Amino acid sequence: MPATASPTPQNEIVNRLDTAVSEVFEMMLERSCDPLDGDVSIVDGRIMARIQFTGAITGECILYASQATAEVTAEALLGAAASQPCDPMVDDAIGELCNMIAGGWKNKLEHPQASCLISVPAVTREGLVALEGKFGTKFSRTYSFQGNVFGILLAF
Amino acid sequence: MRALIIDDSAVMRKVIERALRQAGLELTEVLQASNGEEALQALRDDGGKPHPLSLILSDINMPVMDGLQFLEQRRDEKLAVGVPVVMITTEGSEPLVLRAISAGAQGYICKPFTAEQVKARVMPLLRVA
Repeated sequence: MPATASPTPQNEIVNRLDTAVSEVFEMMLERSCDPLDGDVSIVDGRIMARIQFTGAITGECILYASQATAEVTAEALLGAAASQPCDPMVDDAIGELCNMIAGGWKNKLEHPQASCLISVPAVTREGLVALEGKFGTKFSRTYSFQGNVFGILLAF
Repeated sequence: MRALIIDDSAVMRKVIERALRQAGLELTEVLQASNGEEALQALRDDGGKPHPLSLILSDINMPVMDGLQFLEQRRDEKLAVGVPVVMITTEGSEPLVLRAISAGAQGYICKPFTAEQVKARVMPLLRVA
C-alpha cells in the first residue's frame, strides 16, 4: 500500500513514488508491491537501471535489484521464465520497470515539472554508484513483492 | 490481422502483443521494430504485401529515431496511409500527446496499462479503419 503521511513536499514525493510503484506492479505484473523500512543498501547483488530527467526537472531515477528479483520481474512481465541466467530479457525487464516507475512518478508531478523529458533506460551490473552532489533532493526507498526486494533512488 | 509494434524493449513488445491477443485481436502476423527508423524500413518493405497492416503501436522514447519523428516521417513519405497508430508510452505530458496527435496518432496509451485499456483504445479504431 502507498505510504500515507501529511502532505509535506517530501512526503508528497514519496507518496507519488509509492503510488507509481504500486500502479506498475498491479497493472503490468498483477502483483502487489509494498514499501519496506531501510534504504537500498539492503538490496543484495546489483543490477542497476537508470532513467534521467531533463527539462523542468534535472535528475535521475535509479532502480537496484538482485539477479533473483530481476528474473522474477521478467517472468512476471512476460508470463514465462527467463530461458537462461543471463538472458538479455532480464536486464530489459529491469530497464522497463525503472522506465515505467520513473515515468509514472513524473506524470504525477504538477505543471510545469510534469513536462520534463525522460531518457531511455540504461542498465548496468557495475554495482551501486554514488549520486553526484549536483542534485539537491535525494530519496531512497526499498520495496518488496512476494519477498523479492528492490530499491529506488530518486535525485533531482 | 497484421500489426506492427515499435518499442526499443523486446520485453515490452511481447507484453503489448500479449495485451492485443487478450483484447481479442486475431493476429496473424506481428511485425516488430526497435526504433522509428527500423519501423519506417519495415513499412517501405511492406508496401506490396497482399494483406496490409491493420494497426501500428509505437513507443515514443527510443534511440536512433523516436516515435514522434517516426510519425512525422511516415506522414511525409505517405507510408501505411489510413492505418491507425496508437502511441504506448510512459510520456503522458499534454504537449507530447498533442504533438503525437497532430503528427497522425489516433490513440494514446500511458504505461503502465492493462489489457482492458488496450482493448478500449484499439477496438474503436479498428472498427472505423
